[in-house]
Amino acid sequence: MSFPLVKYVLIAALRDKLILSFFLILVVGACLSLFLGSSAVIEKEYFTVVFASGGLRIASVMALVLFVVFFVRRSFDSKDIEFLLSRPVGRMQFILSLSAGFSVLAVVIGIVLGVLVYALGPNLFKDSYFLWVASIIVENIIMVNSALFFSMYISSAASASMAVAGFYLLGRLIGQLLGMSSSDLVDGWGPVPMIMNVVSVIVPRFDLMGQASWLIYGYSGDVGYAIVFAQGAVFCFLVLCAAMLDFVRRQF
Amino acid sequence: MLFRLSHARSRKVEILLAIAFCINLVFWFSVKDIRGRWGNVPPAPERGSAAFFGLGDAQLAYRLTGLMIQNLGDSGGRVTALKDYNYDELTKWFYVEDSLDSHSDYIPYLAAYYFSAVQTPESFRPVLDYLSMVGQRSEGEKWRFLAQASFLARKDLKDMDKSVALANMLVHHKRQDLPEWTKYLPALILSQKGDKEASYDLIVELLRSSGDKLDPSEVNNMHYMLCHTILTPDQARKNPLCKNYMVHK
Repeated sequence: MSFPLVKYVLIAALRDKLILSFFLILVVGACLSLFLGSSAVIEKEYFTVVFASGGLRIASVMALVLFVVFFVRRSFDSKDIEFLLSRPVGRMQFILSLSAGFSVLAVVIGIVLGVLVYALGPNLFKDSYFLWVASIIVENIIMVNSALFFSMYISSAASASMAVAGFYLLGRLIGQLLGMSSSDLVDGWGPVPMIMNVVSVIVPRFDLMGQASWLIYGYSGDVGYAIVFAQGAVFCFLVLCAAMLDFVRRQF
Repeated sequence: MLFRLSHARSRKVEILLAIAFCINLVFWFSVKDIRGRWGNVPPAPERGSAAFFGLGDAQLAYRLTGLMIQNLGDSGGRVTALKDYNYDELTKWFYVEDSLDSHSDYIPYLAAYYFSAVQTPESFRPVLDYLSMVGQRSEGEKWRFLAQASFLARKDLKDMDKSVALANMLVHHKRQDLPEWTKYLPALILSQKGDKEASYDLIVELLRSSGDKLDPSEVNNMHYMLCHTILTPDQARKNPLCKNYMVHK
C-alpha cells in the first residue's frame, strides 16, 4: 500500500468539500429529525433517533458513493491515473491504496454519524449503540469499495452512481426479498426465486446491519460483531478482487 | 447592425417570457382552489413486506408508518373527521405495525386515546380486539390498553358483555402485580349492567380470597361499592359484610 496515495485521496476529499458537504447534510438531517420527532404524540426521542439514524445512514452512503465514483472517473478522464501509474506503484498496490483512502473516509463519516445520533438521544445510550456504529462503519466501507469497483468497470459516472445506488438498495431489501421468495406464497422452485437466491450470494445483507431498533431497545441477539465484521471482510475482499482483476487487465 | 439584430431578438424573448408568465398566472387561478382528495385509509400491506417502507429497517418502517397513521387524513390543509375513516383498514395497519415493533406503546396509544374519539363508536369495534391483544402482554404497562379497551366498550359502545370479557382478561392477566382495582373491574361493570348478583359474588370472592393482602383503603372501597352500589339499602342493612361500612344519613 502507498501512503502518499492514501493521503492523495484524503486531500481530494477535502478539496471536493466532501467533509463540509457532509457536515451540512448532518445539520439539515438532524433538524429534520428533531422536527419530525417532535410532531409524534409520544416517544418523541425514539422518533428523533430513528429518523436521524435511518435517514443519515442513507445520506452518508450516498455522499461517499458519489465522491468515490466521481473521483475515480475524473482521475481516468484527466489522465491522473496514467500519471500516478508512471510512478513506482504497482496496479494492485494502487487499488489497495485507493481502497484504504476511501475506507478511512468511511470510518470518519461513520464515527461522526455515531456521535450525532448519540447527541440526539443521550438518554437512550446502551451497549448496542457501539454495535450500531460498528455496523454503519462496515456498511460504509463495503459501499466505498463497491463504488470503487463499479466506477472502474463503468465508464460513465452517472451510470456507475446509479449502479451502486441499485446495489445498495438491493442490499437493504435482500432480506425481505429472500423472505418473500421462501414464503408459501411463492413457488420456491420457480425461476424468479431461483434468480433471487443466486443474486443474493453476491449482495451484502445490509438489512442485518445498522438496525435502528438496537438504538432504542438494545441488542436483539440476532446479529453480533462477528457477523458484521465477517460480512465486511467477505464483501470487501470480493469487490476488491474484481476491481483489481479489471485494473490489471486494462490497457492504457 | 449586429447589435440591432441582437436587441430585436432579446425583445422577442422578453415578450415570450411575459406571455409565459401570463399563462402561468391563468393556470394558477384555475388550480389554486383545487385540493388533493383523500381516498380514505390506504390498504394495509402484507406484514411480511412492511419493512420495505424503511428500506429493510423494521424500526424505521415502524416510525415512518406510525407518523403517517398519526397524520392520516389531516395533511395538505385538510382535516378529516374520525367518523370518515375506514376503521377496518386502519385496524389492519395497527396489526402491520405490531409485526414491525411489538415493544413500542406508540400505535396502541394512538389507537386507544386518539382514534377512540370517533363520533360513530361502533366503527371502533375492530380496534378493541387489537387493544386486547396488546394489553395481554406482560411487558411494561401494556395492561393499561386492556383496561382502556374495557372502558371504551362500556362507555362508548355500551357493550357490557364485551367490556366484562375484556375486564376478565385483566383479572387473569399474566402479570400478578397489577393494581387491585383491576381485580374488581368486572364486578363494577356487571353492577352497572344491572347484574347485581354476579357483581356481588365477584366482590365477595375477591374479599374472601385476597382481602388480607389488600391495602385497607382498597378493602374499604370494595365494601363501600358492595354496600352502596350493588346492594339496596335494605339488603345492605341485613348483610353482615356491611355491618361496619354503612354510612348513616
